[in-house]
Amino acid sequence: MDFRFDIIAHYIPVLLRGTAFTIGVSIVSIIFGSILGLGIGFGKMAPKAYFRWPFHCYINFFRGTPLYVQILIVHFGVVPAFYGSTNVLMTSFIALSLNSAAYSAEIFRAGIQSIDPGQREAAVSLGMTRFQAMRFIILPQAVKRMVPAFGNEFIVLVKDSSLLALIAAPEIMYWSNTMKGQYLRIWEPYLTAALIYFILTYSLSKLLNFIERKV
Amino acid sequence: MGMKKKWAVSALAAFLVLAMAGCGSGNKADSGSAGGDTIKFASDASYAPMEYMDTDKIKGFDIDFIKAVMEEAGIDYTVTNTGWDTMLSSVKQGTEYQAGLSSVSITDERKETYDYSIPYFESTNMIMVKEGSDIKSALDLKDKKVAVQAATTADELMSGIMGVDNGNLRRFDSNAVALMELNKGGADAVVADIAIVNEYIKNNPDEKLTGIIDKENFGSEYYGILYPKGSEWKAKLDPAIKKIIENGKYTEIYKTWFGEEPDTQTLLNAE
Repeated sequence: MDFRFDIIAHYIPVLLRGTAFTIGVSIVSIIFGSILGLGIGFGKMAPKAYFRWPFHCYINFFRGTPLYVQILIVHFGVVPAFYGSTNVLMTSFIALSLNSAAYSAEIFRAGIQSIDPGQREAAVSLGMTRFQAMRFIILPQAVKRMVPAFGNEFIVLVKDSSLLALIAAPEIMYWSNTMKGQYLRIWEPYLTAALIYFILTYSLSKLLNFIERKV
Repeated sequence: MGMKKKWAVSALAAFLVLAMAGCGSGNKADSGSAGGDTIKFASDASYAPMEYMDTDKIKGFDIDFIKAVMEEAGIDYTVTNTGWDTMLSSVKQGTEYQAGLSSVSITDERKETYDYSIPYFESTNMIMVKEGSDIKSALDLKDKKVAVQAATTADELMSGIMGVDNGNLRRFDSNAVALMELNKGGADAVVADIAIVNEYIKNNPDEKLTGIIDKENFGSEYYGILYPKGSEWKAKLDPAIKKIIENGKYTEIYKTWFGEEPDTQTLLNAE
Protein backbone atom coordinates (compact mmCIF):
# COMPACT_ATOMS: atom_id res chain seq x y z
CA MET A 1 0.00 0.00 0.00
CA ASP A 2 1.35 3.35 -1.04
CA PHE A 3 0.93 5.14 2.26
CA ARG A 4 3.85 7.08 3.72
CA PHE A 5 3.82 6.70 7.49
CA ASP A 6 7.20 8.41 7.69
CA ILE A 7 5.61 11.69 6.54
CA ILE A 8 3.03 11.41 9.30
CA ALA A 9 5.69 10.59 11.88
CA HIS A 10 7.58 13.67 10.77
CA TYR A 11 4.52 15.85 11.31
CA ILE A 12 3.22 14.33 14.55
CA PRO A 13 4.78 16.96 16.86
CA VAL A 14 3.19 19.90 15.06
CA LEU A 15 -0.08 18.02 14.57
CA LEU A 16 -0.22 17.50 18.32
CA ARG A 17 0.35 21.19 18.84
CA GLY A 18 -2.44 21.84 16.36
CA THR A 19 -4.65 19.48 18.33
CA ALA A 20 -3.93 21.44 21.50
CA PHE A 21 -4.90 24.64 19.67
CA THR A 22 -8.13 23.07 18.44
CA ILE A 23 -9.04 21.84 21.92
CA GLY A 24 -8.16 25.17 23.54
CA VAL A 25 -10.10 27.27 21.04
CA SER A 26 -13.11 24.93 21.24
CA ILE A 27 -13.26 24.99 25.05
CA VAL A 28 -12.93 28.76 25.33
CA SER A 29 -15.45 29.30 22.52
CA ILE A 30 -18.02 26.92 23.97
CA ILE A 31 -17.74 28.69 27.35
CA PHE A 32 -18.09 32.19 25.92
CA GLY A 33 -20.62 30.98 23.39
CA SER A 34 -22.87 29.47 26.04
CA ILE A 35 -22.67 32.50 28.34
CA LEU A 36 -23.52 34.76 25.42
CA GLY A 37 -26.11 32.25 24.22
CA LEU A 38 -27.83 32.20 27.60
CA GLY A 39 -28.31 35.97 27.42
CA ILE A 40 -29.47 35.83 23.81
CA GLY A 41 -31.81 32.93 24.55
CA PHE A 42 -33.49 34.85 27.36
CA GLY A 43 -33.55 37.93 25.14
CA LYS A 44 -35.43 36.00 22.52
CA MET A 45 -38.00 34.90 25.10
CA ALA A 46 -38.64 38.47 26.25
CA PRO A 47 -42.33 39.38 26.42
CA LYS A 48 -42.02 42.54 24.30
CA ALA A 49 -41.63 41.99 20.56
CA TYR A 50 -39.36 45.03 19.97
CA PHE A 51 -37.02 43.72 22.67
CA ARG A 52 -36.92 40.26 21.11
CA TRP A 53 -36.17 41.60 17.65
CA PRO A 54 -32.36 42.20 17.89
CA PHE A 55 -31.83 38.76 19.43
CA HIS A 56 -33.96 37.26 16.73
CA CYS A 57 -31.77 38.96 14.09
CA TYR A 58 -28.59 37.80 15.78
CA ILE A 59 -29.65 34.17 15.79
CA ASN A 60 -30.88 34.30 12.22
CA PHE A 61 -27.71 35.91 10.95
CA PHE A 62 -25.31 33.48 12.60
CA ARG A 63 -27.38 30.44 11.78
CA GLY A 64 -28.18 31.63 8.28
CA THR A 65 -24.67 32.36 7.01
CA PRO A 66 -21.74 29.95 6.66
CA LEU A 67 -19.10 29.97 9.39
CA TYR A 68 -16.58 30.21 6.54
CA VAL A 69 -17.90 33.68 5.68
CA GLN A 70 -18.22 34.68 9.33
CA ILE A 71 -14.55 33.87 9.93
CA LEU A 72 -13.49 36.06 7.00
CA ILE A 73 -15.73 38.93 8.14
CA VAL A 74 -14.46 38.76 11.71
CA HIS A 75 -10.83 38.39 10.64
CA PHE A 76 -10.65 41.13 8.04
CA GLY A 77 -13.47 43.39 9.23
CA VAL A 78 -14.33 43.15 12.92
CA VAL A 79 -10.96 42.42 14.53
CA PRO A 80 -8.99 45.07 12.56
CA ALA A 81 -11.68 47.64 13.40
CA PHE A 82 -11.17 47.17 17.15
CA TYR A 83 -7.62 45.97 17.34
CA GLY A 84 -5.92 47.88 14.54
CA SER A 85 -4.69 44.81 12.71
CA THR A 86 -5.71 41.21 12.21
CA ASN A 87 -5.12 38.78 15.04
CA VAL A 88 -5.64 35.12 14.46
CA LEU A 89 -6.24 34.12 18.09
CA MET A 90 -8.86 36.81 18.57
CA THR A 91 -10.57 35.89 15.33
CA SER A 92 -10.66 32.24 16.35
CA PHE A 93 -12.29 32.96 19.69
CA ILE A 94 -14.65 35.65 18.47
CA ALA A 95 -15.87 33.91 15.33
CA LEU A 96 -16.46 30.56 17.01
CA SER A 97 -18.02 32.09 20.15
CA LEU A 98 -20.42 34.28 18.20
CA ASN A 99 -21.41 31.38 15.99
CA SER A 100 -21.81 28.99 18.88
CA ALA A 101 -23.82 31.57 20.86
CA ALA A 102 -26.53 31.57 18.20
CA TYR A 103 -26.97 27.81 18.43
CA SER A 104 -26.65 27.76 22.24
CA ALA A 105 -29.32 30.44 22.50
CA GLU A 106 -31.78 28.22 20.68
CA ILE A 107 -30.80 25.25 22.83
CA PHE A 108 -31.45 27.26 26.00
CA ARG A 109 -34.71 28.63 24.68
CA ALA A 110 -35.97 25.27 23.50
CA GLY A 111 -34.90 23.64 26.78
CA ILE A 112 -36.69 26.20 28.91
CA GLN A 113 -39.80 26.30 26.75
CA SER A 114 -40.02 22.52 26.79
CA ILE A 115 -40.95 22.69 30.48
CA ASP A 116 -44.71 22.80 30.90
CA PRO A 117 -45.87 26.36 31.76
CA GLY A 118 -48.05 24.81 34.46
CA GLN A 119 -44.92 24.16 36.51
CA ARG A 120 -44.08 27.84 36.64
CA GLU A 121 -47.68 28.68 37.47
CA ALA A 122 -47.64 26.13 40.27
CA ALA A 123 -44.37 27.46 41.67
CA VAL A 124 -45.65 31.05 41.58
CA SER A 125 -48.91 30.04 43.26
CA LEU A 126 -46.84 28.44 46.03
CA GLY A 127 -45.40 31.89 46.69
CA MET A 128 -42.16 31.76 44.67
CA THR A 129 -41.07 34.78 42.69
CA ARG A 130 -40.71 34.33 38.92
CA PHE A 131 -36.91 34.33 39.35
CA GLN A 132 -37.12 31.63 42.02
CA ALA A 133 -39.42 29.56 39.85
CA MET A 134 -36.90 29.81 37.02
CA ARG A 135 -33.91 29.09 39.26
CA PHE A 136 -35.31 26.20 41.32
CA ILE A 137 -38.07 24.62 39.25
CA ILE A 138 -37.62 25.23 35.55
CA LEU A 139 -33.83 25.46 34.96
CA PRO A 140 -32.88 22.22 36.75
CA GLN A 141 -35.30 20.29 34.55
CA ALA A 142 -34.44 22.26 31.42
CA VAL A 143 -30.70 21.76 31.85
CA LYS A 144 -31.19 18.02 31.90
CA ARG A 145 -32.96 18.23 28.56
CA MET A 146 -30.33 20.59 27.14
CA VAL A 147 -27.33 18.34 27.78
CA PRO A 148 -27.60 16.17 24.63
CA ALA A 149 -28.22 19.13 22.34
CA PHE A 150 -25.42 21.02 23.98
CA GLY A 151 -23.04 18.12 23.62
CA ASN A 152 -23.94 17.94 19.96
CA GLU A 153 -23.15 21.63 19.59
CA PHE A 154 -19.74 21.12 21.20
CA ILE A 155 -18.91 18.31 18.79
CA VAL A 156 -19.97 20.41 15.82
CA LEU A 157 -17.84 23.26 17.11
CA VAL A 158 -14.74 21.07 17.34
CA LYS A 159 -15.20 19.98 13.74
CA ASP A 160 -16.07 23.45 12.47
CA SER A 161 -12.93 24.89 14.01
CA SER A 162 -11.13 23.26 11.07
CA LEU A 163 -12.37 26.19 8.97
CA LEU A 164 -9.93 28.39 10.87
CA ALA A 165 -7.19 26.98 8.64
CA LEU A 166 -8.51 29.51 6.15
CA ILE A 167 -6.92 32.36 8.10
CA ALA A 168 -3.83 30.34 9.05
CA ALA A 169 -4.81 29.53 12.62
CA PRO A 170 -2.34 26.82 13.59
CA GLU A 171 -4.89 24.08 14.22
CA ILE A 172 -5.11 20.48 12.98
CA MET A 173 -6.21 21.22 9.41
CA TYR A 174 -3.58 23.93 9.07
CA TRP A 175 -0.73 21.55 9.81
CA SER A 176 -2.24 18.89 7.64
CA ASN A 177 -2.33 21.39 4.77
CA THR A 178 1.32 22.16 5.45
CA MET A 179 2.10 18.47 5.20
CA LYS A 180 0.21 18.31 1.93
CA GLY A 181 2.20 21.20 0.50
CA GLN A 182 5.58 19.79 1.29
CA TYR A 183 4.99 16.41 -0.32
CA LEU A 184 2.02 17.06 -2.62
CA ARG A 185 0.30 14.05 -1.14
CA ILE A 186 -3.24 14.25 0.13
CA TRP A 187 -4.19 10.98 1.79
CA GLU A 188 -1.58 11.05 4.52
CA PRO A 189 -2.51 14.55 5.76
CA TYR A 190 -6.28 14.20 5.35
CA LEU A 191 -6.65 10.78 6.89
CA THR A 192 -4.41 11.76 9.78
CA ALA A 193 -6.50 14.88 10.35
CA ALA A 194 -9.70 12.84 10.11
CA LEU A 195 -8.39 10.35 12.65
CA ILE A 196 -7.42 13.11 15.09
CA TYR A 197 -10.83 14.77 14.79
CA PHE A 198 -12.50 11.41 15.18
CA ILE A 199 -10.56 10.65 18.36
CA LEU A 200 -11.43 14.09 19.73
CA THR A 201 -15.14 13.93 18.99
CA TYR A 202 -15.47 10.30 19.97
CA SER A 203 -13.88 10.87 23.37
CA LEU A 204 -16.05 13.94 23.73
CA SER A 205 -19.23 12.00 23.04
CA LYS A 206 -18.17 9.38 25.59
CA LEU A 207 -17.63 12.15 28.12
CA LEU A 208 -21.01 13.61 27.29
CA ASN A 209 -22.73 10.25 27.72
CA PHE A 210 -21.18 10.09 31.16
CA ILE A 211 -22.38 13.58 32.04
CA GLU A 212 -25.85 12.78 30.70
CA ARG A 213 -26.11 9.86 33.08
CA LYS A 214 -24.93 11.99 36.01
CA VAL A 215 -27.35 14.91 35.68
CA MET B 1 -21.36 -1.83 27.70
CA GLY B 2 -20.80 -4.78 25.38
CA MET B 3 -22.97 -3.16 22.76
CA LYS B 4 -21.05 0.05 23.01
CA LYS B 5 -17.69 -1.58 22.57
CA LYS B 6 -18.95 -3.39 19.52
CA TRP B 7 -20.11 -0.09 18.11
CA ALA B 8 -16.72 1.47 18.73
CA VAL B 9 -14.95 -1.37 16.98
CA SER B 10 -17.19 -1.22 13.94
CA ALA B 11 -16.76 2.55 13.73
CA LEU B 12 -13.02 2.14 13.69
CA ALA B 13 -13.26 -0.64 11.14
CA ALA B 14 -15.39 1.57 8.90
CA PHE B 15 -12.81 4.30 9.18
CA LEU B 16 -10.00 1.97 8.23
CA VAL B 17 -11.89 0.63 5.24
CA LEU B 18 -12.38 4.20 4.12
CA ALA B 19 -8.71 4.86 4.66
CA MET B 20 -7.64 1.89 2.61
CA ALA B 21 -10.08 2.64 -0.15
CA GLY B 22 -8.57 6.08 -0.26
CA CYS B 23 -4.97 5.15 -0.61
CA GLY B 24 -5.62 1.97 -2.52
CA SER B 25 -6.88 4.04 -5.41
CA GLY B 26 -3.39 5.44 -5.77
CA ASN B 27 -2.16 2.10 -7.00
CA LYS B 28 -4.30 1.92 -10.09
CA ALA B 29 -2.08 4.52 -11.76
CA ASP B 30 -2.07 4.78 -15.56
CA SER B 31 -3.33 1.29 -16.27
CA GLY B 32 -3.78 1.67 -19.98
CA SER B 33 -6.58 4.19 -19.81
CA ALA B 34 -4.21 6.78 -21.24
CA GLY B 35 -4.27 4.71 -24.41
CA GLY B 36 -6.69 7.10 -26.14
CA ASP B 37 -5.18 9.95 -28.08
CA THR B 38 -6.65 12.68 -25.90
CA ILE B 39 -4.89 13.91 -22.82
CA LYS B 40 -6.88 15.56 -20.07
CA PHE B 41 -5.14 18.14 -17.93
CA ALA B 42 -6.38 19.06 -14.48
CA SER B 43 -5.57 22.50 -13.15
CA ASP B 44 -6.18 24.73 -10.16
CA ALA B 45 -7.16 27.87 -12.01
CA SER B 46 -6.79 30.39 -9.21
CA TYR B 47 -3.31 31.61 -9.92
CA ALA B 48 -3.50 34.62 -12.20
CA PRO B 49 -1.78 35.29 -14.51
CA MET B 50 -0.53 31.70 -14.81
CA GLU B 51 -3.96 30.05 -14.87
CA TYR B 52 -7.24 31.58 -13.80
CA MET B 53 -10.91 31.57 -14.61
CA ASP B 54 -12.37 34.41 -16.64
CA THR B 55 -15.98 33.64 -15.74
CA ASP B 56 -16.34 30.11 -17.13
CA LYS B 57 -13.26 30.13 -19.38
CA ILE B 58 -9.83 29.03 -18.28
CA LYS B 59 -7.07 31.41 -19.28
CA GLY B 60 -3.47 32.25 -18.50
CA PHE B 61 0.10 31.77 -19.54
CA ASP B 62 0.05 28.04 -18.87
CA ILE B 63 -3.07 27.62 -20.98
CA ASP B 64 -1.52 29.38 -23.99
CA PHE B 65 1.68 27.47 -23.44
CA ILE B 66 -0.02 24.08 -23.46
CA LYS B 67 -2.00 25.04 -26.55
CA ALA B 68 1.27 25.61 -28.41
CA VAL B 69 2.74 22.38 -27.08
CA MET B 70 -0.25 20.30 -28.13
CA GLU B 71 -0.36 21.88 -31.57
CA GLU B 72 3.29 21.00 -31.95
CA ALA B 73 2.67 17.43 -30.77
CA GLY B 74 -0.57 17.09 -32.75
CA ILE B 75 -2.51 15.66 -29.82
CA ASP B 76 -6.04 16.52 -28.66
CA TYR B 77 -6.35 17.78 -25.13
CA THR B 78 -8.60 19.45 -22.60
CA VAL B 79 -7.78 21.56 -19.54
CA THR B 80 -10.25 21.44 -16.67
CA ASN B 81 -10.32 23.52 -13.51
CA THR B 82 -10.52 20.89 -10.80
CA GLY B 83 -8.98 22.71 -7.85
CA TRP B 84 -5.65 21.85 -6.31
CA ASP B 85 -6.49 18.79 -4.21
CA THR B 86 -8.52 17.07 -6.90
CA MET B 87 -5.72 17.71 -9.34
CA LEU B 88 -3.19 16.12 -6.99
CA SER B 89 -5.25 13.01 -6.32
CA SER B 90 -6.55 12.43 -9.83
CA VAL B 91 -3.19 12.97 -11.52
CA LYS B 92 -1.58 10.56 -9.10
CA GLN B 93 -4.21 8.04 -10.12
CA GLY B 94 -3.88 8.91 -13.80
CA THR B 95 -7.24 7.57 -14.95
CA GLU B 96 -9.56 10.58 -15.17
CA TYR B 97 -6.85 13.18 -15.69
CA GLN B 98 -3.50 12.17 -17.08
CA ALA B 99 -1.58 15.32 -16.19
CA GLY B 100 -1.62 18.42 -14.05
CA LEU B 101 -0.93 21.89 -15.40
CA SER B 102 -0.93 24.40 -12.60
CA SER B 103 2.41 26.17 -12.13
CA VAL B 104 3.61 23.20 -10.12
CA SER B 105 7.19 23.74 -9.00
CA ILE B 106 9.58 20.85 -9.41
CA THR B 107 11.02 19.74 -6.07
CA ASP B 108 12.80 16.56 -5.03
CA GLU B 109 10.24 15.72 -2.35
CA ARG B 110 7.41 15.92 -4.85
CA LYS B 111 9.33 13.77 -7.34
CA GLU B 112 8.96 10.90 -4.89
CA THR B 113 5.28 10.82 -5.80
CA TYR B 114 5.00 12.28 -9.31
CA ASP B 115 6.89 12.53 -12.58
CA TYR B 116 7.48 15.93 -14.13
CA SER B 117 7.91 17.19 -17.68
CA ILE B 118 11.09 19.06 -18.51
CA PRO B 119 10.98 22.54 -16.93
CA TYR B 120 8.81 24.96 -18.90
CA PHE B 121 8.91 28.07 -16.76
CA GLU B 122 11.52 29.76 -14.62
CA SER B 123 10.23 31.54 -11.58
CA THR B 124 11.51 32.95 -8.37
CA ASN B 125 9.80 33.98 -5.21
CA MET B 126 9.48 37.63 -4.38
CA ILE B 127 8.86 39.51 -1.16
CA MET B 128 6.05 42.03 -1.04
CA VAL B 129 5.98 44.65 1.70
CA LYS B 130 4.28 47.97 2.32
CA GLU B 131 6.25 51.02 1.20
CA GLY B 132 8.68 52.25 3.86
CA SER B 133 9.20 48.82 5.38
CA ASP B 134 12.67 48.08 6.76
CA ILE B 135 12.68 44.66 5.12
CA LYS B 136 15.31 44.53 2.38
CA SER B 137 16.07 40.85 1.90
CA ALA B 138 14.80 37.40 2.78
CA LEU B 139 17.04 37.27 5.85
CA ASP B 140 15.28 40.34 7.28
CA LEU B 141 12.13 38.22 7.40
CA LYS B 142 13.47 35.90 10.10
CA ASP B 143 11.78 37.64 13.03
CA LYS B 144 8.92 39.18 11.07
CA LYS B 145 5.39 37.99 10.48
CA VAL B 146 5.31 36.46 7.02
CA ALA B 147 2.22 35.34 5.10
CA VAL B 148 2.41 32.75 2.33
CA GLN B 149 0.02 30.51 0.46
CA ALA B 150 0.13 27.06 1.99
CA ALA B 151 1.58 24.29 -0.16
CA THR B 152 3.66 26.59 -2.36
CA THR B 153 7.40 26.85 -2.73
CA ALA B 154 7.19 30.20 -0.91
CA ASP B 155 5.92 28.19 2.04
CA GLU B 156 8.79 25.76 1.66
CA LEU B 157 11.45 28.47 1.32
CA MET B 158 10.23 30.41 4.32
CA SER B 159 9.89 27.19 6.33
CA GLY B 160 13.57 26.70 5.60
CA ILE B 161 14.52 30.21 6.67
CA MET B 162 12.18 30.58 9.65
CA GLY B 163 11.55 26.99 10.72
CA VAL B 164 8.55 24.93 9.72
CA ASP B 165 6.83 25.38 13.09
CA ASN B 166 7.62 29.07 13.53
CA GLY B 167 4.37 30.76 14.59
CA ASN B 168 5.32 33.94 12.70
CA LEU B 169 5.18 32.08 9.41
CA ARG B 170 1.51 31.95 8.52
CA ARG B 171 0.18 29.76 5.73
CA PHE B 172 -3.03 30.85 4.09
CA ASP B 173 -5.52 29.13 1.90
CA SER B 174 -4.70 31.31 -1.08
CA ASN B 175 -2.40 34.15 -2.04
CA ALA B 176 -5.44 36.44 -2.11
CA VAL B 177 -6.05 35.87 1.61
CA ALA B 178 -2.33 36.19 2.41
CA LEU B 179 -2.20 39.52 0.58
CA MET B 180 -5.29 40.66 2.48
CA GLU B 181 -3.48 39.82 5.71
CA LEU B 182 -0.58 42.10 4.72
CA ASN B 183 -3.04 44.78 3.79
CA LYS B 184 -4.80 44.64 7.16
CA GLY B 185 -1.56 44.74 9.14
CA GLY B 186 -1.56 41.13 10.29
CA ALA B 187 1.64 40.35 8.39
CA ASP B 188 4.79 42.33 7.64
CA ALA B 189 5.42 40.67 4.29
CA VAL B 190 4.02 38.24 1.76
CA VAL B 191 6.26 35.87 -0.15
CA ALA B 192 4.88 34.55 -3.43
CA ASP B 193 5.80 33.82 -7.02
CA ILE B 194 7.09 36.82 -8.90
CA ALA B 195 4.29 36.71 -11.47
CA ILE B 196 1.61 36.74 -8.76
CA VAL B 197 3.24 39.59 -6.83
CA ASN B 198 3.70 41.74 -9.92
CA GLU B 199 0.12 41.13 -10.96
CA TYR B 200 -1.15 42.10 -7.50
CA ILE B 201 0.94 45.27 -7.29
CA LYS B 202 -0.25 46.24 -10.75
CA ASN B 203 -3.91 45.68 -9.84
CA ASN B 204 -3.75 47.46 -6.48
CA PRO B 205 -1.84 50.70 -7.02
CA ASP B 206 -3.51 52.42 -4.05
CA GLU B 207 -2.13 50.02 -1.48
CA LYS B 208 1.43 51.37 -1.69
CA LEU B 209 3.21 48.05 -2.04
CA THR B 210 6.76 47.25 -3.05
CA GLY B 211 8.21 44.02 -4.37
CA ILE B 212 11.68 42.87 -3.41
CA ILE B 213 13.66 40.38 -5.45
CA ASP B 214 16.29 38.46 -3.50
CA LYS B 215 18.22 36.32 -5.98
CA GLU B 216 20.68 35.24 -3.31
CA ASN B 217 18.23 33.61 -0.91
CA PHE B 218 15.44 32.74 -3.29
CA GLY B 219 17.00 30.74 -6.10
CA SER B 220 15.26 30.01 -9.35
CA GLU B 221 12.63 27.33 -9.41
CA TYR B 222 11.04 25.65 -12.37
CA TYR B 223 7.50 24.68 -13.17
CA GLY B 224 6.80 21.35 -14.78
CA ILE B 225 3.76 19.46 -16.00
CA LEU B 226 2.73 16.94 -13.39
CA TYR B 227 2.37 13.28 -14.43
CA PRO B 228 1.64 10.09 -12.53
CA LYS B 229 4.69 7.93 -11.90
CA GLY B 230 5.74 6.11 -15.07
CA SER B 231 3.46 8.08 -17.38
CA GLU B 232 3.90 7.49 -21.09
CA TRP B 233 2.90 11.10 -21.82
CA LYS B 234 6.19 12.50 -20.63
CA ALA B 235 8.08 10.98 -23.54
CA LYS B 236 5.43 12.22 -25.99
CA LEU B 237 5.25 15.82 -24.80
CA ASP B 238 8.79 16.65 -23.69
CA PRO B 239 10.12 16.98 -27.28
CA ALA B 240 7.22 19.31 -28.16
CA ILE B 241 7.95 21.51 -25.14
CA LYS B 242 11.58 21.67 -26.11
CA LYS B 243 10.68 22.47 -29.70
CA ILE B 244 8.45 25.47 -28.93
CA ILE B 245 11.01 26.88 -26.51
CA GLU B 246 13.68 26.65 -29.22
CA ASN B 247 11.61 27.89 -32.16
CA GLY B 248 10.50 31.13 -30.53
CA LYS B 249 6.84 30.25 -30.06
CA TYR B 250 7.39 30.13 -26.31
CA THR B 251 9.08 33.54 -26.28
CA GLU B 252 6.14 34.99 -28.18
CA ILE B 253 3.61 33.70 -25.62
CA TYR B 254 5.82 34.81 -22.75
CA LYS B 255 6.01 38.34 -24.13
CA THR B 256 2.25 38.67 -24.46
CA TRP B 257 1.76 37.76 -20.77
CA PHE B 258 4.77 39.35 -19.10
CA GLY B 259 5.93 42.02 -21.53
CA GLU B 260 9.52 40.84 -21.50
CA GLU B 261 11.75 38.16 -22.99
CA PRO B 262 12.28 34.90 -21.11
CA ASP B 263 15.73 33.46 -20.52
CA THR B 264 15.16 30.36 -22.62
CA GLN B 265 18.78 29.24 -22.43
CA THR B 266 18.62 28.92 -18.62
CA LEU B 267 15.33 27.12 -18.96
CA LEU B 268 16.71 24.57 -21.42
CA ASN B 269 19.82 24.04 -19.29
CA ALA B 270 17.78 23.56 -16.13
CA GLU B 271 16.70 20.07 -17.05
